[in-house]
Amino acid sequence: MRRRTLSLAARLFSALFMLLYLGLRARAQEAPYFVTYDHHLEEPSSLEIEASTTAGSPHGGQRTFFAPYTEFEYGVTGWWTSELYVEGQTTAQDSTLFTGWRLENRFALLAHDHAVNPVLYFEYEDVNEASRITTEVTGHNQLGPDTNATARLQLDRELETKLILSGDRHGWNISWNGIVEKNFTQNEGVEFGYALGVAHSLAGLSSGANCVFCRNALALGLEAYGGLGSTQSLTLRDTAQYIAPVLAWQLSPNSTLRLSPGVGLTHVSEPLLLRIGYSYEFPGFGEALAGLLHHRGKSGLQ
Amino acid sequence: MKTAKTFSLLSLFVLLVTAWAQNPGYRVDPGWKVPPKAAVKKNPLPPTPAVLAGGKALFRAHCASCHGRDGQGGRRAADFHLAAVQAQSDGALLYKMSHGYRRKGMPSFSQLPEVQRWQIILYLRELGKERGHRK
Repeated sequence: MRRRTLSLAARLFSALFMLLYLGLRARAQEAPYFVTYDHHLEEPSSLEIEASTTAGSPHGGQRTFFAPYTEFEYGVTGWWTSELYVEGQTTAQDSTLFTGWRLENRFALLAHDHAVNPVLYFEYEDVNEASRITTEVTGHNQLGPDTNATARLQLDRELETKLILSGDRHGWNISWNGIVEKNFTQNEGVEFGYALGVAHSLAGLSSGANCVFCRNALALGLEAYGGLGSTQSLTLRDTAQYIAPVLAWQLSPNSTLRLSPGVGLTHVSEPLLLRIGYSYEFPGFGEALAGLLHHRGKSGLQ
Repeated sequence: MKTAKTFSLLSLFVLLVTAWAQNPGYRVDPGWKVPPKAAVKKNPLPPTPAVLAGGKALFRAHCASCHGRDGQGGRRAADFHLAAVQAQSDGALLYKMSHGYRRKGMPSFSQLPEVQRWQIILYLRELGKERGHRK
């Protein structure tokens, strides 16, 4: 028994060591988007953990809210990335609650990069109506004075698919996402949405110095996203629409801070969505873990 | 005693991972073709110490996790000291870095500014010189 405990302790210590070791040599090159996906997947065997928050201002009888969420993104293979979200929400003068989880998978369709690169996206989400992270906008919207106690009772089990088209050219990235979503718990038909992003890295010739307060650490962009109606009503009436400048700031070789103040453009949009996210990447995490467990990684890259 | 055991296990683990990560049998994939127009591109950067220092930092940040800290290669990634790698033109290396090969686990680095990709290639050439080409 004691031997087993010792072995477990040794393994945990080794895992911690590997995480720190990998963290020290990690890297990050983040697109600044919060909502739009580009075609770059997580590198095989790498794990990225991101803690983000979406905060909204009061409007239409609602109160200020903070919706924190954590993403665990893992590069399964060179062409497949899987991601788990867990999310919560706090409303001022109301309550704090867990709002659900999402599991998404992205599949790159082409072996090599081209001018336009298609990626297929599939997500299953099990959240409730109190979810406010707003990582996608679809269908029609309504802003109501629902309390968390009421909203949490309404479940949303949805399947969401996206076609991601994205390309890089001369330091610019342009990405477009078309969204189709079906909610299995409510009679909303099939809902549609979009996200469009343009971003540019300010980086130039690298000096080799670890530079935090310089343009090489920055990427700027702009994203627009919103609903496109549903099969029940294929109009833009009562759809939420947003436009949001985005900024990514590489704080260290393995961590990135992202900021985005989004502005609602229609009467059913939140007037202001302020987003902030911090990500940290562990390259080679899966291989290191597989080594620890004496299994060969199933990254499919042999 | 406990510390010694942990340290031994840790050392053994690092040794095993390092040994497991070597890829002496690497061969250039004949299916990964570079268009002739791309292959003839020349590196526009001069190999000055400052540019090379930047290339080294970029290599460590973006390439080392798969190709090894000193470019010695990994379980699935090329050893940059190999003659088969060094024989490829600058343009071919830029093309491969920019376009990736997802089925083989090589991501594209088109999101990096082109000037930084050239810096990395400049550093790869230095790696080739450091240890001499291996067959």
